[in-house]
Amino acid sequence: MPNPSLIRDLSRVVGRKLVLHEPEDLLVYEYDATIERGLPEAVVVPDSADQVAEVVRIARRHNAPVTARGAGTGLSGGAIPCDGGIVIVTSRMNRILEVDADNRIAIVEPGVINQDITDAVSGHGLYYAPDPSSQKVCTIGGNVAENAGGPHCLRYGTTTNHVLGLEIVTPDGDLVWLGGKTVDPPGYDLTGLVVGSEGTICIVTKVIVRLMDCPQSTVTLLAIFDEVDQASHAVSAIIGQGIIPAALEMMDRNTMRAVEEAVQAGYPPDAGAVLLIEVDGLEEETREQADSVRAVCEELGSRELRIGFSAEDRERLWAGRKGALGALGRLAPSYYILDGVVPRSKLPAVLRGVYEACDTFGFQVANVFHAGDGNLHPNIMFDERVPGATQRVLDLGEVIMRLCVEAGGTITGEHGVGYEKRNYMSWIFSEDDLDVMASIKLAFGATDLFNPGKVFPSSKGCGEVSSRMKAAIAKVGPDAYV
Amino acid sequence: MVKQASLLSQLQAIVGADGVRRDDELSNFAVDGLTPQAAVAPSSYEQVAEVLRYAHTEGLAVIPRGGGTHMHIGNVPGRYDIGLSLLRLDQVVEHEPADLTVTCQAGITLDRLQRHLGQHGQLVPLDPAWGEETTIGGILAANASGPSRHAYGAPRDFTIGLKVVTADGRITKAGGRVVKNVAGYDLCKLYIGSLGTLGVIVEAGFKLAPTPKVERTVIATFDTPGQACAFAADLQHRRLSLRAVQLLNATAASAVGLAQQGLCALVLDLAGTPQAVERSRREIGELAQDAAADLRDEENAAMAWQSRMRPGSAEEPYLLCKAATLPTHLPALIESLETVAGPPHILALPTVGVLYASWPRLEDAEAAIGRLRTAVTALDGSLVLERCPLDIKPRLDVFGDPPPSFDLMRRVKEQFDPKGVLSPGRQVGRL
Repeated sequence: MPNPSLIRDLSRVVGRKLVLHEPEDLLVYEYDATIERGLPEAVVVPDSADQVAEVVRIARRHNAPVTARGAGTGLSGGAIPCDGGIVIVTSRMNRILEVDADNRIAIVEPGVINQDITDAVSGHGLYYAPDPSSQKVCTIGGNVAENAGGPHCLRYGTTTNHVLGLEIVTPDGDLVWLGGKTVDPPGYDLTGLVVGSEGTICIVTKVIVRLMDCPQSTVTLLAIFDEVDQASHAVSAIIGQGIIPAALEMMDRNTMRAVEEAVQAGYPPDAGAVLLIEVDGLEEETREQADSVRAVCEELGSRELRIGFSAEDRERLWAGRKGALGALGRLAPSYYILDGVVPRSKLPAVLRGVYEACDTFGFQVANVFHAGDGNLHPNIMFDERVPGATQRVLDLGEVIMRLCVEAGGTITGEHGVGYEKRNYMSWIFSEDDLDVMASIKLAFGATDLFNPGKVFPSSKGCGEVSSRMKAAIAKVGPDAYV
Repeated sequence: MVKQASLLSQLQAIVGADGVRRDDELSNFAVDGLTPQAAVAPSSYEQVAEVLRYAHTEGLAVIPRGGGTHMHIGNVPGRYDIGLSLLRLDQVVEHEPADLTVTCQAGITLDRLQRHLGQHGQLVPLDPAWGEETTIGGILAANASGPSRHAYGAPRDFTIGLKVVTADGRITKAGGRVVKNVAGYDLCKLYIGSLGTLGVIVEAGFKLAPTPKVERTVIATFDTPGQACAFAADLQHRRLSLRAVQLLNATAASAVGLAQQGLCALVLDLAGTPQAVERSRREIGELAQDAAADLRDEENAAMAWQSRMRPGSAEEPYLLCKAATLPTHLPALIESLETVAGPPHILALPTVGVLYASWPRLEDAEAAIGRLRTAVTALDGSLVLERCPLDIKPRLDVFGDPPPSFDLMRRVKEQFDPKGVLSPGRQVGRL
């Protein structure tokens, strides 16, 4: 049962209204965008870094784990309180504290929505580059935790390349600044270490982000291919030409079919794959590069090429890609999105393997992904109401992850390890490697205080063993999990 | 304390006779005037690991090194028993041009790696000075970068994987060989710039860049650094095809013959597609005319950078500082550095917010350093004394006051190197 004195202590910090502990309130916070679930004992919605620090100190006293949560759009179970405890929701900490346009930096709170940063600085001709597909709702705090990527990370890098400094709450409940507004601060790069640490060593309360100058010109090309193989060869060929596009995305036939029904993007029904290629820079540069990209695609058998120069035309070309994940809902009641990376040159072979594995398991798959980075996102279509389907989908996911690792790749490019992939970590890291990572937890004094059950291999299931969880389940009743 | 004879025989058992350096070579391994009892050059990762296991057991201090071009950076070592050269680990491990990535051993020199990649129209976007001697491992350990940082970022931005031997001699890895990877903690960030205090980097992987189709260099001269910085900011905002933007103050510019007496020079390296470079050159010309700045094309860009990085290269400067501040604070910082001590040579990266200031000689250096620190702190910057006279260096922390997160850094060092085997005392706060 939730400890009444814990609720009382938390209420003292943020006020009673902002501590949720009734079963019907807690249920809303037991999931993110993945399949796993875990119920918190209490949810707090602090308004300031000081309040977060105070909550952490209380959590420590009550020996309750703390999981930070932004918008809950994460795709690896990062925001799920696997061992119950307290969920800190950052939605009220959503202020842009400072914009320094001349120095191209902004200081924001963790609950600020990714897109809102760009909206706040676009008047200065600046933008915030990392653009996860969920950028209209996902928060910077979550982006920092997972080191989020997005289509335009091909040229401009992921979140870690755009964060200069962080204010954090340590496990001791202290507020500490890492890094700052200027580059190369003396000492160890703890900022770089915390980005992507998935909320397991500290809680981020302020972020100094780097802003970029908007490109003068952007050109978007859409190349339609009969076969996936042709499209994936074109990916390597474009990069091989010495062109690093701003974005280089691929969608396969199943994705196009769903997209076509949803947004009528004008994809031919018999096409095998499309590439969406964006180049940006000076007008001269984008023209030259667009010409080269066009030549490469045609040479490799592209049957149709569309090109957009104006914002309107480009938006139309992107509409299919941006609506893709939403459109997949038309193909099946549920889909399981995977996130693996392979060397670009291995794309054709690994994609073939993905289709074969899905055939073997008897599931449809829709591939829509960051081809230029070799970052695959196979979406496996299934119906979770069919008994055993969820487990078989997870098994299939494991097979696909194995394919990526065997091709020299990795188990996650931008979604994080979280709960979902923690047991795959030992495929790519030795015990010694993991031991060194674990020593970071010890250095921060975090052990199991922050987001337990994530990143590191463990046989313990999410919400499975803990007596804390059993109490929580007893309270909401077993029906809650049906 | 292990006797030198026994130390040498133990090391010889690990790395073989040809891996142990002779006594008369030990002075080449000196760091801040300290000479080790022994020096080794292992020829495999396993040998590096075994040397560290031995040192760890015996509590001996090891300082790793590559070409030795950045050994002046860091505090005076607390102890130093074994010099560990990575120069025999100098191979390209894997380069698949279509992947635009490379994995190489730590001891390969930057120039050799670039020559290899250049055959395939690619480059690793690193250009610190002394490329013919400086090694990949050393560059990463020192977080060294050059002017092309303007376009490509710092080593942390394109290093995708590392192999590191831990203080107790385990071969571990961080990251991987693909360009996007968020599996586990990003330990690459931690090792880059750790100055060999957390582990010995033995292998590194990078994202590469295509070699630009066209490159050219133009030089604009201005009366004041403020004018030059404003000009640079304007070019940056226009996103012209610039690979590097460097500002030399009047003293530095005249020393290398880039500007007339009293003028500072802005060196602009253009790179990209032919038409984009052409257009950038044209636009820079127009803007220079508006700003009444003199502009001229420079023929030999690469050589110019070498000489710029070591003004008066015949002898080392007495004091060399690296300062970082907000780009808008750079003109003020340059101005105060020019007045608090004798006239410095300053080379700044105005779009990055970094400058290197050197003094060939300096009266009452300790007091002058105090004034430099005050000047930098007043502008919210950081100051690292990269080269510092040895008579005063032991009394100083070359990094200045420890940062607010120092306690966490100390705890990281304790976890990674509890016995203080690796480059003890060289990091901030003598970690």
